[in-house]
Amino acid sequence: MLVPHPDSQTTHTSSIEIRPSKGLFDLELDAVWSYRELLIVLVYRDIQVLYKQAALGIAWAIIQPVFAVIVFSVIFGRFAQMPSDGIPYPVFAFAAVLPWTYFAEAVRRGGTGLVSDSDLVRKVYFPRLIIPLAGVIAPLLDFLIAFVILLGVMIWFGVMPSWRLLAVPPLLAIAALLALAIGLWLGPINVRFRDVKHTLPFMLQVWMYATPIVYPLSIIPAEWRWLYSLNPMVGVIEGFRWAVFGQGNPNLVAVGISLVVIGLLLIGGLMFFKRMEQSFADLI
Amino acid sequence: MTQDIAISAKGLGKRYRRGLRSAQHNSIRDAIASAVGGLFRGDRSEQALSTFWALQDVSFDILRGENVGIIGLNGAGKSTLLKILSRITTPTVGYARVTGRLGALLEVGTGFHAELTGRENTFLYGAILGMSRAEVARKFDAIVDFSEIRDFIDTPVKRYSSGMYVRLAFAVAAHLDPDILLLDEVLAVGDFTFQRKCMDFARQLERKGSTILFVSHNMFSIKTMCQRVIYLKGGRVAFDGATDEALRLYESDSRLASTSWFHPPEHPSIVITDFELFDESGAPRAMFDFGERVRVRVRYHAPAPVEAPHFLLSFTRSDEILVCNFSSFSDNVDLPRVDGEGVIELLTPPLKLVSDRYTISVVVRQRGFERVLCAQIGAAMHMRHEIFNANAFGVFHEAGQWRVETTTPPRPALADKIR
Repeated sequence: MLVPHPDSQTTHTSSIEIRPSKGLFDLELDAVWSYRELLIVLVYRDIQVLYKQAALGIAWAIIQPVFAVIVFSVIFGRFAQMPSDGIPYPVFAFAAVLPWTYFAEAVRRGGTGLVSDSDLVRKVYFPRLIIPLAGVIAPLLDFLIAFVILLGVMIWFGVMPSWRLLAVPPLLAIAALLALAIGLWLGPINVRFRDVKHTLPFMLQVWMYATPIVYPLSIIPAEWRWLYSLNPMVGVIEGFRWAVFGQGNPNLVAVGISLVVIGLLLIGGLMFFKRMEQSFADLI
Repeated sequence: MTQDIAISAKGLGKRYRRGLRSAQHNSIRDAIASAVGGLFRGDRSEQALSTFWALQDVSFDILRGENVGIIGLNGAGKSTLLKILSRITTPTVGYARVTGRLGALLEVGTGFHAELTGRENTFLYGAILGMSRAEVARKFDAIVDFSEIRDFIDTPVKRYSSGMYVRLAFAVAAHLDPDILLLDEVLAVGDFTFQRKCMDFARQLERKGSTILFVSHNMFSIKTMCQRVIYLKGGRVAFDGATDEALRLYESDSRLASTSWFHPPEHPSIVITDFELFDESGAPRAMFDFGERVRVRVRYHAPAPVEAPHFLLSFTRSDEILVCNFSSFSDNVDLPRVDGEGVIELLTPPLKLVSDRYTISVVVRQRGFERVLCAQIGAAMHMRHEIFNANAFGVFHEAGQWRVETTTPPRPALADKIR
């Protein structure tokens, strides 16, 4: 008779079957759930490690976006006289730099996590989806800290927060899902071709300028906005500005397009990731 | 009856692409370059695509509570088998069923993070091995006691010595409390006392009725831990049964095989073709008494002339400790140029090694030591001494000279003098 182990809730006490490849749609999301403790621990590790042995510690979570905003304010706000829809330029830029900083970091970690944790992939079993998931969750802490600063900056510039801030969590969730979807595609490619690591910073740079961060959506000619909105981050960033400043109406079309694009990327990404997962340990 | 089977494997096979590890294309440019190159050299692209079976048609049933050793020469598929059973990689064909809580230790300390403290790493590593946070918290004190590094538990592990690192990692792993444990050479770490602790741990698991599957090159630990051995050869099961019989087969197969660290070239310039042991008088022997001299005769074949090679004979104890070397170079033996067949013989001084089994291997080096020409396992011999065995008496024994001084009058007066 099988006697269940007292500590068996989180691991596999009953039989596990080991077979060659599984079906295309067998995503084994239940396995991810049963390894949720590992997910939490890996997120916790990434957060702990980030600012260890840095004299300024967690302050870096604020310094980085603040410096970006200062540079943008000087170059685009002052020198280039970029319009900012009547909002003080620094606040205008800060409100977009925050979600973007989160997104860029989440994509970077999601895409390169498998390789930076290659020891684990090579020597330990766990559902590999845990790694891009942890990569997307860990930078949320930085975002939260910087968000508090954003609220302070807003009040300083006389922009009062409102109930619209309730839109922030769902918008952030959209950004996280998009980052995850991209990580699911880039991660396995990075296992095979390390070129991804070199391409990513450049790709993110281009993407940032293709997103209304240093400039408002209003400078894009109306007849081209639909094409522009295919960039799923457009809806997120514009939605974020709406939630923070309450100007204009939420661009529901842009958010809707974002959701469709993300949904497709995510489902395809999950299938691709699962398909490639079997060979990670052999290739990495 | 199926509930008594812990691991059942049926026709497991794993196919790898040849050169996947050594010559894999890690950048798209390489992949394109080799694809383009392949167009012009049809044979090479064919070679790049050719595959090999690291594991083929492997079937066995392991009962609950059995301790099974897996042995085989390098590349026989031992690690691949463990990787499949621990679900790190998937088999190409076949099927396996593992019943019970599985713990796999393919390496001690995988996932340790250098920047984190011992305490933080304990929780991290516990989770990596499949323990819940609550479980690690409950066992935390026992883990720290086992590791013997309580004073350093809040120090980042990057400041640890490698010994401390391994101790902590193993302590966590030892508290995993699995029904089935897969071990890959991990017991061969740490100092002697710690190794003994690890063996005790394995025995304790055994008493609890855990199933242990154990890969090792160390025949000594295989012999002490396992009643049954699966001997893999070229990815297939060559033998599955009693330990003594498996070790005997393995030994006769590994005679004259290349050592685990040496990969012979396609056209070796010298090969050892025979290896024999005799006593001083020239009678063939495999068992020697403490203090006897051993005559080692090595027969070689050099297909092409080799200028003044150096021969090195190394004695390795069953617990993988290299106990002594005899070198034609340091003994100032000038070998002429060798060509074709030849014999070289060594008569050792009286060997005062403790009782154990010793493997003798041969390394032939080019003059100037630039290149190893061949490195092969020769033969095994046993050394016998009624008291001095390897477990407690170090490497060698020789009588020392003693001088005894006693002081009179005794203590009180002496103590006064010091004051």
